[in-house]
Amino acid sequence: MRQQVPALSEQLLLAVAEQLKVPFLQISHRAELAAFGRQHIAGEVLLSEGRDSLVLSEDLREIQTTAEMAVRLLDNYLLGARLALEEQYRLHMEPVSVASVLYDTGQQLDAMAKLYGVELELSLGGKFGPVMAHRAALQSALVSLGYSLIEALPSIEDKKLRLQLAAHRCRYGIVAGMYSDTEQLSAEALRQGRRLHGHTRQPVSTLSPSSGAGIFVADAILQAMDSELKVSRHHRLFGLGMVLRPNHQLQLV
Amino acid sequence: MKILLVEPDRLLARSYTQALQRAGHEVVVAVTAQTAIFEADTTAPDMVILELQLTRHSGIEFLYEFRTYSDWQNIPVIVVSHVPPTEFTDSWEILQNELGIVAYHYKPSVSLTKLVQIVNETNGKEWVTDDRKVADIS
Repeated sequence: MRQQVPALSEQLLLAVAEQLKVPFLQISHRAELAAFGRQHIAGEVLLSEGRDSLVLSEDLREIQTTAEMAVRLLDNYLLGARLALEEQYRLHMEPVSVASVLYDTGQQLDAMAKLYGVELELSLGGKFGPVMAHRAALQSALVSLGYSLIEALPSIEDKKLRLQLAAHRCRYGIVAGMYSDTEQLSAEALRQGRRLHGHTRQPVSTLSPSSGAGIFVADAILQAMDSELKVSRHHRLFGLGMVLRPNHQLQLV
Repeated sequence: MKILLVEPDRLLARSYTQALQRAGHEVVVAVTAQTAIFEADTTAPDMVILELQLTRHSGIEFLYEFRTYSDWQNIPVIVVSHVPPTEFTDSWEILQNELGIVAYHYKPSVSLTKLVQIVNETNGKEWVTDDRKVADIS
């Protein structure tokens, strides 16, 4: 068991390092385009000065969003790795509102979703009592999951790209997760992905063209809360979710 | 020149498209192997730029399918991929001779300027089985 823990963190590191190449490349290309655009514009006077600064500010905003999401993924990875490595790094569970965590997750993912042309929706049909979780860790897990799903969505041939942040009840508790129109991942593919994680470039190849690091970071964080990612459905949508234990005491109040 | 860009990441695809368009090329983007076959059929590209890591079907699977059609036998394919070329050390012959890859580049080391340069240099070069040479392997 003691040997498995460093191995898990090494696998996570590999996946995250592989994943982070993409945003760095995006930043580098946007910067190159912005610089190239300015030279081009200065040389041929094709666009007015106002248009020039508009294009540049769009590039800068895109660079900022991409960098922020990369830092967030890195930060979430650190949390996942610490939880896997340090036994004393225990999460203090407390009653948490699923609705508010999903709302905050949506806020954090919104800029990235817009960049990828994905429409984020919040679906909270019904009233959910508090669940036992570590709020920051739960949000980190959801943001990491969202990172991977948003990035993966444009690789699926859907004209309208939509990701729904949703919660529903199941017999084991409350499921919080993210869902889209396309079935991207079966339970077997997720199990296989966990086995292949760290050993192959695309452990979840039906879902993501990359290492899918966000999924495994979310998984590592959730394990510290005695939960894990599960393939689930929300109404007619397909996605990944996590089962959270309701706080029965507070529900009685 | 009409280029079919097979790139799963929408943001990277947009940057590549803008750079290639500024260089005077026409670009059609496909995010999966299946759409790439469809786009190749409808747009008749002069060149393909391909990422090997795609969702569901890989770039290699796409190439095997692509090369089965007689019309697409001689269209040059440039691979720009996250997969380093060192991982194909044992398979170069297949990549060159069977799949007609005229150049293979490791994506993190390809700037937009370099991409345009690679495309312009490969422009007009058809892949033919008699001339079994990869233009550039970096």
